Amino acid sequence: MTNRNPHSATAPQPSRRSVCKNIRADRELYLLLLPGIAVLLLFKYTPMYGVLIAFKDYSIFDGMGGSPWVGMDNFRKLFESDDFLLVLRNTVEISLLKLVFLFPLPIIAAILLNELRQLAFRKAVQTVIYLPHFLSWIIISGLFIDLLSINGGLVNKLLGSFGIEPIPFFLSNAYFRGVLVTTAGWKETGWSTIVYLAAFSTIDPGLYEAARMDGAGRWKRIWHVTLPGISPVIVLMLILRLGSMFTGDTEQILAMYNSTVYKSSDIIGTYVYRMGLGKQEYSFTTAVGLFESVIGFALILSGNYLSRKYLRRGIW
Amino acid sequence: MDSLTPRMPTSAQAKRRRRDIRRSWPEKLFDVCNYTLFVLLGLSTLLPFVNLLAKSLSSEAAVVAGRVNLLPIDLQLGTYRYVLEDDAFMGALRVSLLLTVLGTALSLLVTTLTAYPLSKPRLAGRKWLLLIFIFTMLFSGGLIPTYLLMHNLHLVNTLPALFLPSMVNVFNMLVIKNYFEGLPDSLEESAKLDGAGHIRILLSIYLPLSLPVLATIALFFAVFFWNDYFNAMIYISTPSLKPLQLFLKELLVSSSDFLRNATLNPDQALNTAPQSIQAASILLATVPILLVYPFLQKYFVKGVLVGSVKE
Repeated sequence: MTNRNPHSATAPQPSRRSVCKNIRADRELYLLLLPGIAVLLLFKYTPMYGVLIAFKDYSIFDGMGGSPWVGMDNFRKLFESDDFLLVLRNTVEISLLKLVFLFPLPIIAAILLNELRQLAFRKAVQTVIYLPHFLSWIIISGLFIDLLSINGGLVNKLLGSFGIEPIPFFLSNAYFRGVLVTTAGWKETGWSTIVYLAAFSTIDPGLYEAARMDGAGRWKRIWHVTLPGISPVIVLMLILRLGSMFTGDTEQILAMYNSTVYKSSDIIGTYVYRMGLGKQEYSFTTAVGLFESVIGFALILSGNYLSRKYLRRGIW
Repeated sequence: MDSLTPRMPTSAQAKRRRRDIRRSWPEKLFDVCNYTLFVLLGLSTLLPFVNLLAKSLSSEAAVVAGRVNLLPIDLQLGTYRYVLEDDAFMGALRVSLLLTVLGTALSLLVTTLTAYPLSKPRLAGRKWLLLIFIFTMLFSGGLIPTYLLMHNLHLVNTLPALFLPSMVNVFNMLVIKNYFEGLPDSLEESAKLDGAGHIRILLSIYLPLSLPVLATIALFFAVFFWNDYFNAMIYISTPSLKPLQLFLKELLVSSSDFLRNATLNPDQALNTAPQSIQAASILLATVPILLVYPFLQKYFVKGVLVGSVKE
């Protein structure tokens, strides 16, 4: 990075001496930036170069240089592999399930929270429902394994009292995705209300007053004032959610799944972990990971494009 | 007709006043439903904890027999004593505490140092520098190349593997940067007139003014490091270096095996970690989160607001 003085055009004509002083001062700024840049180059950009092994037949003994190039072989293998097509489908399906069932929840919850008049009650509710966001998937997995267990789990006991046979939620391909969606909702719905609650505060209170004067009841005020007021934020959150469709579920699933539910819930992230680190298929799984990264990147870029176009505001 | 016009506003006012004081029955019904809904929502959030707490305080026999619901049966505290005297648990707890303290301190330092220069609009090349940082949020080399890098750096099976790569969190950096940008320029100018360099300005002017946002980011970092099991799963196999979450994960694996054998004979049951002890371990691992949670709650909502809805 050069140290040329960037603000000679805007700053009030400085003396030669103060220009030198500014350059020195700016050097200090770059110095402060150094540790961050170093971490970034080493731990983020080096692995980006490392994806080249997706086009090689990598062996850990020969290293990056010594392993032979194989061109697109790994990608050809990828699209012929039933495993990959399965995990790709699972990834997309689980993401869509979460989107459909969980995306509207925080919006509804935020609107209803906003209607609570008792401030103390409202604060208490918020304190409680934000909490699960701060727990690890391991803890949540532990909580729900107990709750949903077939040996005396509360849920199965409740179902039993209606005469329903115990359901092995964690072991059934039919139910495990439901567990994933429910626990994700349990963990994040409360926390996700924050951004909508914040958006409410940007709505002009005069609009509510006017709506009230016109005789609009609660539902009409929600429908005609609140929702339009927060719709840019809703669209923004939707775009962000679409951008992270391919990632984000790995930690949850890795903490909760087991080999009996691979068929319904093995996703790209968990597959790369098992095959890459477990079976040391470095090149193949790097290809899988690269595929995921590229799709994710494309989704985010198109999300940003949409956001710029319709909201006149980029994501970054 | 004539009399109607002047009466209009007063009648509307009266109607509004009436609505404020004595709301109509659909409104009341709505309130009742709404309050009930949130009471239920709150309870459903707390229920799994209460259930687990009851199990951790009950005798193993009662737990295995599936008799424990929300209240302990055959109350005992032995499980907690057992867990707190267990070397493996305490070792993992120590690793987690060390990791959280070190990781949070270093990450907060590096992230703040990065945010400060990037918050200066006059910094030459700022746009490109920002792009270099933001690009890492959008694209990554992926798990395997990162693992191989750590392997080549001989960081596998060391604690730094768990915090060095996370030291710059770009999202958090942007939040701090945005906050810095909101501080008045005059502060910097007047400090400069007094001869203060950037490091002095950052330390003695920016940092004290940014305590709420820094506290929030520190909380996020601490929670991240405390909760992270994924990196530990990838990089750590030495038992003495395993953080608490990974320790718990391995404890739970035995429990999902437990579930898999629906028709379990008692001999097999003995090989798995007792459920009451599992429950106690999980709850003990939650305690640190519960301890910092209320203190920082008032800060973090503010901090998130700063970051997300800046307009």
